[in-house]
Amino acid sequence: MQTPLAIPVPVLRFPRGPDGLSRGFAPDGRRTRLKPEAPGSQECPVGQQSQESREQRARAALRERYLRSLLAMVGRQVRFTLHEGVHVTAHFGATDLDVANFYVSQLQTPIGIQAEALLRCSDIISYTFEP
Amino acid sequence: MAMRQTPLTCSGHTRPVVDLAFSGITPYGYFLISACKDGKPMLRQGDTGDWIGTFLGHKGAVWGATLNKDATKAATAAADFTAKVWDAVSGDELMTLAHKHIVKTVDFTQDSNYLLTGGQDKLLRIYDLNKPEAEPKEISGHTSGIKKALWCSEDKQILSADDKTVRLWDHATMTEVKSLNFNMSVSSMEYIPEGEILVITYGRSIAFHSAVSLDPIKSFEAPATINSASLHPEKEFLVAGGEDFKLYKYDYNSGEELESYKGHFGPIHCVRFSPDGELYASGSEDGTLRLWQTVVGKTYGLWKCVLPEEDSGELAKPKINFPEATEEELEEIASENSDSIYSSTPEVKA
Repeated sequence: MQTPLAIPVPVLRFPRGPDGLSRGFAPDGRRTRLKPEAPGSQECPVGQQSQESREQRARAALRERYLRSLLAMVGRQVRFTLHEGVHVTAHFGATDLDVANFYVSQLQTPIGIQAEALLRCSDIISYTFEP
Repeated sequence: MAMRQTPLTCSGHTRPVVDLAFSGITPYGYFLISACKDGKPMLRQGDTGDWIGTFLGHKGAVWGATLNKDATKAATAAADFTAKVWDAVSGDELMTLAHKHIVKTVDFTQDSNYLLTGGQDKLLRIYDLNKPEAEPKEISGHTSGIKKALWCSEDKQILSADDKTVRLWDHATMTEVKSLNFNMSVSSMEYIPEGEILVITYGRSIAFHSAVSLDPIKSFEAPATINSASLHPEKEFLVAGGEDFKLYKYDYNSGEELESYKGHFGPIHCVRFSPDGELYASGSEDGTLRLWQTVVGKTYGLWKCVLPEEDSGELAKPKINFPEATEEELEEIASENSDSIYSSTPEVKA
């Protein structure tokens, strides 16, 4: 009896390696306290903090919108504009962790239809689809 | 849904990783140091494996590395006949302690005031870190090179292993209390303070002894020669790795082999549980460290638990409410990130 295929545990990213340039120990990098310090022990201009947190929330909202747009694209017909004025259409399957590649199927190219393909995101100028 | 272990590979070393150690749990998390034959021990964040810095200074293979409890200091033992003490926050070298032969092992006391070293000169040395110029206290007795030396029983005793013996010494009198003899080479030793347990590996055996009396508690046999083993802080599991490149996980109480994991491309030289027991790290001849989850599929560090599939329509609706920003404000922030694809500068043709 075959055991069911186990799914590998997903990871957010891989561990960061050495930067290859320095010996590390960045002064601002490492020692971030996990638990917040007692109130009043830190001094920060309040206005600046609020502007930064607004921007951060805006970035988070934009990022979430983008990721959800990718989710909405799954299974849909998407038209890609590539370099040199090339346009192709395909059914969107998935993207990888860094959004470096799009996995597509039924890719209609000027030289025929490719059943399955990987499109490099660096080759894509824009894409459009109807949800 | 069955989940398969995803080990996290920490790259950066260029030669075999021969030793690794975790710090205690600090307000900044916990940390991991790795000793490598490339002479460049590295400090990493313990729960993610992210590289923090490399301790530069040794002129030979680093055989042993350790952190003090609060990860403010590091110590390393090297083939350049020195042990070094480092500031683990800045990466600066604090002390170089000259020895007469290859140094293999280093260990801090709980209060970080003393450093224990051992190596091929067969002597145990105790350095007072507050008086670095003073001569260390020396304990002789080993008849072959010392592979591992550890403080135990609240730093009142010392455990040391050479090729065929494990010896227990009293710190105050500097005399041998007891010894164990083995007819196979001892490959590793780990001391668990809570419960005073000593984990010793030799041949294919993983043996547990009382750290106080050296009396045997139990032992297990693995399918291959084991180079290192570690007991989980709650003493439910142990992990071991060795010459067949695999990691084995056993139930400590029953001795049952629970899992084995492939992944390394060379023999495993060291394996240790993190101080919170949530993961274990392995160092290999292949030059990498790998982090493994104790409970596969749990959300921890970089591992993310998968939730059941939701309807894709639901997935497309934004969940973060951000009413304060208008669309224009979001557009402004979004435009920071977009590149101009069509450059206005003319191309220069050769």
